[in-house]
Amino acid sequence: MSRAWQFGIAVFVLVLGIVYGVGALGFPAETGYAGIGARFFPTLIASALVITGALLLWQVATGGLRNFTDELADAAVNLGGGLWVSGGVLLYALVITHIGFVLAATLLFVCVARGFGSRRWWLDLVFGVALVLPVFWLFTMVLDVSLPHLLNDWI
Amino acid sequence: MPETLGLLLGGFELALQPVNLMWAFIGCLLGTAIGVLPGIGPALTVAMLLPVTAKVDPTSALIMFCGVYYGAMFGGSTTSILMNTPGESASMMTTLEGNRMAKNGRAGPALATAAIGSFVAGTIATLLLTLFAPLVADLGLKFGPAEFFALMVLAFVTVSAVLGSSMLRGLTSLSIGLAIGLIGMDNISGVARYTLGVAEFVDGIEFVLVAVGLFAVSEALYTVLYDSKESDGSVNRMGSTWMSREDWKRSWPAWLRGTLIGFPFGSVPAGGAEIPTFLSYTTERKLSKHPKDFATSGGPGAIEGVAGPEAANNATATGAMVPLLTLGIPTSATAAILIAAFQNYNLQPGPMLFIDNAPLVWGLIASLYVGNVMLLILNLPLVGLWARLLRVPKPQLYAGILVFASIGVFSMRQSWFDLVLMYIIGVIGVIMRRFDFPVAPVIIGMILGPMSEKQLRNALSIAQGDWLVFFKQPIAATLMAMTFLVLFVPIILRRRGVRLHEDD
Repeated sequence: MSRAWQFGIAVFVLVLGIVYGVGALGFPAETGYAGIGARFFPTLIASALVITGALLLWQVATGGLRNFTDELADAAVNLGGGLWVSGGVLLYALVITHIGFVLAATLLFVCVARGFGSRRWWLDLVFGVALVLPVFWLFTMVLDVSLPHLLNDWI
Repeated sequence: MPETLGLLLGGFELALQPVNLMWAFIGCLLGTAIGVLPGIGPALTVAMLLPVTAKVDPTSALIMFCGVYYGAMFGGSTTSILMNTPGESASMMTTLEGNRMAKNGRAGPALATAAIGSFVAGTIATLLLTLFAPLVADLGLKFGPAEFFALMVLAFVTVSAVLGSSMLRGLTSLSIGLAIGLIGMDNISGVARYTLGVAEFVDGIEFVLVAVGLFAVSEALYTVLYDSKESDGSVNRMGSTWMSREDWKRSWPAWLRGTLIGFPFGSVPAGGAEIPTFLSYTTERKLSKHPKDFATSGGPGAIEGVAGPEAANNATATGAMVPLLTLGIPTSATAAILIAAFQNYNLQPGPMLFIDNAPLVWGLIASLYVGNVMLLILNLPLVGLWARLLRVPKPQLYAGILVFASIGVFSMRQSWFDLVLMYIIGVIGVIMRRFDFPVAPVIIGMILGPMSEKQLRNALSIAQGDWLVFFKQPIAATLMAMTFLVLFVPIILRRRGVRLHEDD
């Protein structure tokens, strides 16, 4: 499993490098006085990605990443918790402009706390509101940072 | 020299204004709190606070950010000593001796030597910064694009190749950071690059977004996936922070040595406080008259093993301000984010900053002296209060971190797209941590990448396309030579080592 992931990372870096390299070809070739233009630096970085990706691939093929012992290879993974946290963040992203910061952030708070194993969601709801409301007022009223409202200045 | 004194006095006038004292205090308070709380570091906190740059004036905001940066260093030792978990890799050595002392009922003296040592080191290092920064800035004025480009290349290589367990993984992280930095408008020709037709990408990916994704979101996801069990909650008892005469006698030489080891390491672009804290620890162990006290020898914990590394840690943090302010070169993730803060005000750290914005620079330096005093007061008598923060349970702690993180990211552009991007980068961060790819090179590559491209193209324009310009000018050539040494000496040494091993 661990090896499959390592393989995936190496391929990702390699492919990213190729995509960047192909992309660089689309930039204007004119170079001006410098002898290099908008194309040069991207090509350089694309090459760096291709080289590091290829070297990673070679390491994975010949025994795995060097100086790395996968201590978590057999560890229990709390996928459910991860889903709650991910869901909370993505839900927040989707609803913030519709239901305002206060409600969205409270939802985020409850979901993340649930992901970390908190069982009393109603208590987290109270904690969440107690944290989010003052923070909202601080940012919008004192620091002039604008955040989406639901009804008026206060919520 | 008298000139510097005058400027510094002017700086104190600015730093001691009530409103700036207040921002310094807020920064120190926040910094200490996040230093104590496990899971969040100074880089993330400054990133989350960046939106305040919309309202607060530059001097005050930067004074606050520096308070956060320093405060986190002070607060980190509390966690290491009272719980057996270093808040950041630089506190590893403190954990070793400090936690052992705490287990043997000497938490108080350990906390005291850490706080006073941080104060002593911070103050001496700020003094050195005051003396050296103008000199380095003067040198920096002689730098052209070729020299700056060479310096940035050196910074890239040292930050990604020297630290960490694998040069290849460090360079991979750096390349990814550079690749992210390329997205958006090319600032010389105006060409839009790698935007995939997405309007949000034309302005580039916000730096804060990547920092928050890599630090906050990935930290939360990593912890929930692999480490979500509540820790055993064993927090060592505090006791009085009184240090005996013997403790003082053993501490102060360690503080001084730690400072002298830490400051130079911070000021060269080599990044990280791991090496100096480790060096300080081994030095203290070697020089100690009580080698049997050290935890590594099975002893009850040696106070100089806390005093030295803590001093080194703080001196490194201050030392990092030298290249940051005078040359605009960040040597750590936090320093890179501080540069982003400057850029929000259209200020570019570097030698010109000392000329164009002298009051701001000296106000900032003066505030470092003030901040150190504040932190000593916050940390020594109030340490019991901070220790209570260690009791915040994980679910609510991480929920709170993510709420704050999301404010910072969303408020920049009011864009939900940015939040999704933040999550994706967080997931990438989890994979990177899982397979031991360092994160700091991504941040540094992202902020230095566009700057170095500009310097490279300017340098070549001036030289009419002559690549040898980097080897003809003495300063640039020296920096390039150093880069080659840093890159290839370890490889050559390893080759030798391996071969010797095979001969055996």
